[in-house]
Amino acid sequence: MAAATSRFSLFSKGQLVVLGLLASTPLIDVAMPTLRLSAPMRTVVTSAIIALGLNIVVGWTGLLNLGIAAFAALGAYAFGILTCEIYPFQVGFWWGVLLAGAVGAFAGWLLGAPTLRLRGDYLAIVTLGFGEIVQDGLKNLEAITKGTQGINPLPAPSLPGIEFSSETPVRWFYAYLAILAVVVFLCRNLEFSRLGRQWFAVREDELAARCMGIQPDKAKLKAFAIGAALAAVGGALIASQLSSTGEPANYDFQMSILALCIVIVGGIGSITGVMVGAIVMVGLNNVVLPIATQSLQNAGIGSTENVLTSPDNYKFLLFGLALVLMMRYRPDGIIHSGKAVRK
Amino acid sequence: MSANSSLLSVQNVTVRFGGLTAVKDVSIEVAKGSITAVIGPNGAGKTTLFNAITGVYEPTEGSVLVSGRDPQRSLTKAVIAGAVSTGLATGLFLCLLVRVEVIWRASIIDLYVFQQPFPWMKSIGVFVATLFGGGIVGTWLPLVLGVVLGISGRMVIWSRTRRTPDVVASAGVARTFQNIRLFPELSLIENVTVGMDRRLNSGFIAALFALPSALHERSAARTDAMKLLQFVGLANKSEEAAGNLPYGYQRQLEIARALASRPDVILLDEPAAGMNPTETVDLMRLIKTIRDAGTTVVLIEHHMRVVMGISDRIAVLQYGEKIAEGTPLEIKHDPRCIEAYLGKEELG
Repeated sequence: MAAATSRFSLFSKGQLVVLGLLASTPLIDVAMPTLRLSAPMRTVVTSAIIALGLNIVVGWTGLLNLGIAAFAALGAYAFGILTCEIYPFQVGFWWGVLLAGAVGAFAGWLLGAPTLRLRGDYLAIVTLGFGEIVQDGLKNLEAITKGTQGINPLPAPSLPGIEFSSETPVRWFYAYLAILAVVVFLCRNLEFSRLGRQWFAVREDELAARCMGIQPDKAKLKAFAIGAALAAVGGALIASQLSSTGEPANYDFQMSILALCIVIVGGIGSITGVMVGAIVMVGLNNVVLPIATQSLQNAGIGSTENVLTSPDNYKFLLFGLALVLMMRYRPDGIIHSGKAVRK
Repeated sequence: MSANSSLLSVQNVTVRFGGLTAVKDVSIEVAKGSITAVIGPNGAGKTTLFNAITGVYEPTEGSVLVSGRDPQRSLTKAVIAGAVSTGLATGLFLCLLVRVEVIWRASIIDLYVFQQPFPWMKSIGVFVATLFGGGIVGTWLPLVLGVVLGISGRMVIWSRTRRTPDVVASAGVARTFQNIRLFPELSLIENVTVGMDRRLNSGFIAALFALPSALHERSAARTDAMKLLQFVGLANKSEEAAGNLPYGYQRQLEIARALASRPDVILLDEPAAGMNPTETVDLMRLIKTIRDAGTTVVLIEHHMRVVMGISDRIAVLQYGEKIAEGTPLEIKHDPRCIEAYLGKEELG
């Protein structure tokens, strides 16, 4: 049984290929230094982490969560409060990221405990509302969150002997990629664990799972908390990259929907698929289109005044087109999750 | 028959849905190591009875004992302690939430001088003092409200989940469903492994870091699952998706999944439905083997050949009431059963 033995490797082949692809993007920078790819590529990595968290909830446990951005926001602000020098905690980058994850898990547990008994659409509405509440809450708690200014400056990653700054985007990118690799490793362990099996069973048929002695409420709560923790880690990394938590409105419904699109386009339920989804969606949004616009402008063809020759404006057109085409030709996502082949 | 000698004891169970009485005052004793059949016309309340036994429905009246005990989450000290601690946590959280800015200013901002060492002990003292210094509206109202909310919330959840299917399943009752309920997108072997869940005990940390204990448990579980698939004759399809199986095999997979929890009693809801005669004969053999291996069997079935061929005892339901119970021979000659199935003979 190939499936059983391959479990003992750290990553699956597909995951290795995608992580390897990501790891080789700085090579493009070496070839074409003017592109400065590594800096925006960090966003692909943070988005992938948030989407992997959402994938546990939506893809594996079958709960529709429309408020994942709220957990990213809580993670970003927890990271900000714990690391910024305007507050006494100043725990540093790594502890900040870890504790942000813990805060996210706690928030997910807090939201999930009373609401996870709701079914389908109702839970989606609750998470949607939670997303709005968190934004407003963070905006209005000015004494703590600095309102719309955001908490700044925030620390970059730090390792003994290695310096991280905006001057060294390649190092910084690799630090984030390493965190993504750890997240993928943990997600894969969970996927093949007893807990993962409970999630899949609850998604497929909750009553049948219950009759097998599984407690769906507990399994769902764990999925919700772990998904929230990963989203919070992603949020903390975004905050570190910007050196600011930004304003609460950055973590809006659109961010939740983007994460959902990444999961659906990439391949719902598949770790490899979600990473591919992040590369395609965020890569298009934050890397390809800005660079295309820039080069057209440099070539003197496009200008910001001319809407048609500025590819940046096609962002949402392309998003919509991608979704429609996906649903028509590959409804299971770019990478088939292999739900059916879960062995 | 006393409750002691029977493994499953259904005592005066009534299930009502609003004005409709689906099951009315039914009592059945299932002896350990026996095969008991529940038969009756469509809509007689057989599946409702199964649902009441397994906790899908709460019986309106009556009780179901498994090995002489009522499988329920009882009001243990752990439940009370859990409720109280939830209440306290909710109370403190609410307290913190309503005045979070005031508390933050007093215990952090006012004490922190930029880049100076922070007086942690003093801060904690101020924090506690401010948290509890909000007077009636600022502290005690949210505290009391939170405690009441937390405790009552936990107690409501406890009272509503006292006898859910997972509790009954953990007492050693497994079942299959009339309208097959497999996990269609999981492979056969995963389906069976899910059935084993109540016997597994690896925890979250072991799972997260793929510690050896979790990996061993996983491979042992898969070996066991493979044996069960062999037992029902599906071993060569172990990696296929359950949803792609032909109908007859799906029923057998459901039986394997139910057996995986090593139940004391297994409830089969129309296991022979949709099977051809050869498959039916195989199924009868399978059910007998299950019984011989020490698992008590209760089944709902319409195929009289199956029912009469393997049952030790038969209970007949009609319009939710038990109209007869006995050995196959007795039932065959019981005028009420003949009437229920074939109708009354017109006289004159």
